[in-house]
Amino acid sequence: MELFLQQLFNGVMLGSTYAIVAVGLTLVFGILHVPNFAHGHVYMLGAYLAFFLMTQYGFGFWIALFSSMLIMAAVGVILERVAYRPLRERPHIDSFISAVGTLMILETSVIVIWGPQGRRIPNPYPDIVELFGVTMSHQRLLVILAAVVMILGLHLFIKRTTAGATIEAVAQNREGAMLVGIDVNRVSSLTFAISAATAAAAACLVAPIFIISPTMGALLGMKAFVIVILGGLGSIPGAILGGYILGLVEALGGGYLSAAYKDVYAFGALILILSLRPTGLFGKEVS
Amino acid sequence: MKRRSRLVGWVGAAALVVACFGISTGAMGQEEVVIGFTGPLSGVAAEYGQDCVNGIEMAIQDINKAGGITVGGKKHNLKLVRLDDQIDPTQAVNNCRRLKDQHKASVVFNPVFNTLAAMAKINEEKGHEFLIMAYTSTPKMVEMGNKLAVAIPPPFTAYVRTFSELAWEEGWRKAAMVVTLGAYGDEWRAAFRDYWQKKGGQITEDKPANYYAETDFSAQLTAALATKPDFLLIGGPSATTALVIEQARNLGFKGGFVLIDQAKVDYIENILKGVKLLGNTIGVAAVRDIPTPSVPAWDKRYREAYKRMPTWEAVLNYGATHAVARAMEAAGSTTDAVAIRAAFPKAFPMLGDKFPSEYHGVTPGGRIHCPASIQKLDPGGKYGPVLLAAWWFKDRAEFDKFKAARPAQETWAFFKHEKEE
Amino acid sequence: MAVTRTLKERWWQIFFLALALALPQLLTSRYIFQILVMGYLFSIATLSLNLILGYTGQASLAHAAFFGIGAYGVAILTKGGLSFWMALPISALIAASVGFLVGLPTLRTRGSYFAISTLCFGVIVSIVAGNWISLTGGYTGIVGIPTPTPIRLPWFGEISFQDRTAQYYLVLAFLLLTLAVMHRLTGSILGLSFMAVRNNEVLAGALGIDTFRVKLLSFVVANFFAGLAGGLYASLIGSISPSTASMELTFNWLVYLLLGGVATLSGPIVGAFLIPLIMESLQFLAEYRMLIFGALLIAVIIYFPRGAMGAVQMWRQRVSGILHRTRGAREGVVAGQEP
Repeated sequence: MELFLQQLFNGVMLGSTYAIVAVGLTLVFGILHVPNFAHGHVYMLGAYLAFFLMTQYGFGFWIALFSSMLIMAAVGVILERVAYRPLRERPHIDSFISAVGTLMILETSVIVIWGPQGRRIPNPYPDIVELFGVTMSHQRLLVILAAVVMILGLHLFIKRTTAGATIEAVAQNREGAMLVGIDVNRVSSLTFAISAATAAAAACLVAPIFIISPTMGALLGMKAFVIVILGGLGSIPGAILGGYILGLVEALGGGYLSAAYKDVYAFGALILILSLRPTGLFGKEVS
Repeated sequence: MKRRSRLVGWVGAAALVVACFGISTGAMGQEEVVIGFTGPLSGVAAEYGQDCVNGIEMAIQDINKAGGITVGGKKHNLKLVRLDDQIDPTQAVNNCRRLKDQHKASVVFNPVFNTLAAMAKINEEKGHEFLIMAYTSTPKMVEMGNKLAVAIPPPFTAYVRTFSELAWEEGWRKAAMVVTLGAYGDEWRAAFRDYWQKKGGQITEDKPANYYAETDFSAQLTAALATKPDFLLIGGPSATTALVIEQARNLGFKGGFVLIDQAKVDYIENILKGVKLLGNTIGVAAVRDIPTPSVPAWDKRYREAYKRMPTWEAVLNYGATHAVARAMEAAGSTTDAVAIRAAFPKAFPMLGDKFPSEYHGVTPGGRIHCPASIQKLDPGGKYGPVLLAAWWFKDRAEFDKFKAARPAQETWAFFKHEKEE
Repeated sequence: MAVTRTLKERWWQIFFLALALALPQLLTSRYIFQILVMGYLFSIATLSLNLILGYTGQASLAHAAFFGIGAYGVAILTKGGLSFWMALPISALIAASVGFLVGLPTLRTRGSYFAISTLCFGVIVSIVAGNWISLTGGYTGIVGIPTPTPIRLPWFGEISFQDRTAQYYLVLAFLLLTLAVMHRLTGSILGLSFMAVRNNEVLAGALGIDTFRVKLLSFVVANFFAGLAGGLYASLIGSISPSTASMELTFNWLVYLLLGGVATLSGPIVGAFLIPLIMESLQFLAEYRMLIFGALLIAVIIYFPRGAMGAVQMWRQRVSGILHRTRGAREGVVAGQEP
């Protein structure tokens, strides 16, 4: 029982990261139709910025985290403007190539600046608590909590603010949104800014528990795509649910079944689910 | 008219490509002897590749500073040409062809078995031979039977045995494994399982993990620790291994760690900012503790040149580059790979007064005699003495003769090696 | 008359064929040889990706998985003693059959959903290749795969494929075979139905095309050729590992395809040569190489929407437009009245 609870905790923690990253991706992929394969690398750069600010300028953890979010929001805007906007009216696969180019640039830049080796961010909350026989570090609890806060914040932003409403409008009906005078360019920039900032936040939150490296985002980025598709393109609840599902499947599958084959189960299940529900769990019918 | 313009277009395009190509492959007019390197300089294994190439580069600089090598009464300087292959066999083969064809390299270094296997298919072509310097500890390298390949590091089986014996002496019996996925990790797990169980030990759990892509090992560790093992066999790239140690300790694990030889304990100490979590760890010896006289100065020079701590990859490739230079001198040729390989035994011994790690010879199958250096950290995290495991002697008598000639303060162990004799 | 017209229209194709046939006699560098052989080989893979992605509009991200299945097939069968000439078609057929089975569930999804389903399948194949140790050798892979079995020809005597020239012609022959099949296929009614599905699947369905069957057929044929390329690769490179089925290869071919020119027959080949050549020539940049290459990718995809072949075509039209105008003006012929 204790073992099960511990694995559950591990899975929820993992799922929290997946959920935040996947929500950011579903915004740009589902709403703007940009298959941003560089999303995992945006996440990686967010962690490196925090690392840089903390070690170079002695920033505290939280200030570094918020600075990194701000800078990455700007990076997101630039990325959209340079690499994706010129391709908006073109087949998605063209944006995909642009994304591959972008991830090469991000990864190589980080290697050139900070070297290929893994780096560490000092852990602000290294203490450990034990509850019902489950060992939890404070930082891991923080990740779970922060994920909930960020998801709620994003929800309120989209539902309660005008800027958020424009994003939802474009998501529901792009042409209609343009007709009523919503500036799609501005919505694109805004969406990319949010997407990049949330990815940076997720990266900064888990960085103290993990090690940051130039390739830390590659696998996560791919998993985020799987989650977004599982949840249904453009569906925020779908991405959140998908994130937690994948986290739990990995922790329980890795703990109880074969660790080597755990991705086979997760990805095999996705193929199966999609063959039954071709547009994911929460997806709209595509035309 | 139209046709001509089309022709002009095509020829123009072709010329552009050729010009573009020419820039990089430009004529090599110098009298320098090129030592080739192909390996991962970008991608997931970039750090590993760069550690290796740094050692080679430093050796070449040292050799040139000392006047180069003398072949046929003439002095030659060495020159390193490094190419990136990102562990892609196609790219590695391209790079070898390029090094051989364009740079006239007769020796190519590579540090990954999957690319080495592809290279081994093309390095024995008549008239186009080149010597492969293989930085890989898998016995499969020598088993392939390539006649123009030299393996650099000790076989990992030497570590499997020594580690197992040390763990056994500690009274540890129950082992759980959370080792890296991949060719190397798979072989390690299989070899360790085999040896440990034959010894009478128990393996309570086996949860391999992807050390290259994942960062959270809680799931595997939770499962492994639930079986109450005396020690964990872990390891992969050092940075990730540090993370596994931290996560295991955070989950309340108080037992020992045995690190497979890819993970380096001194590097891990650096990442974990101390030895607090490293009590009861058995692993490859720290570079600074290698018991040779030249290590302290070498260690200092390396840190100054590359702004990072030296790893065994740098140490052993440094020595291997010197071995190549000495073999070239002994062979009287810088170009004939067959002659250089044949002259390889004459390069040894290479001793600790000049080299950070000692090389005592080379097996007929082509692996350099380099002792496996092992260290154990006590429960408080204090480094113990370095144990040197000799694996290349046929029998104990031969080993005893060798040991008698060694300084008394060195600790040597003998292991009869079944493979690669 | 017809012959001369064909010659006129096709002269550059004939020129390139002649060049390809003559190259082994002109070249001495084994390095260039290696690049050429791999260029032909990856052209086959890219051409087959072009069929499913370029002509049928289904972005399969599992292409390297089928390449890998072909490679493992040939490796396992030839190491088991089977002749390469039996192992190759068998492996390609295995790849095609697996493609059929995978296509059944995945082709029910569309667009990005199909892309990600196939991506998942690709990941599964490389994990299985890494862990089914008794069959695939695990992550170490399979080494010492024999080169193609020698064949006896009535006039030439025995052809041994140890020789690099023979290897060159072998791969070239398979490339020409692939090209011929793709040419016939895309020029046929079936090819038209591929493109109809690509352009508008709903409309194609309304016109009475069984879109699912059309997609499945295209997928199976594409995977057959991917498997064929993989089998050749295994035999020529001599050792394979799970990276032979990795996502990176699919991404490479996607780049070749889109930068070469999607939905054309020459584009994939141009891409499969041009991109590796650029990558090779950027080696001198060392760690900055991927930085420059990444920027290049973005710039090219933005400014050359239809890749290199698209650019060539556009440029040719522009040039011939200018020529037409000048010639028309000089000869006093109104454009459009020319015979």
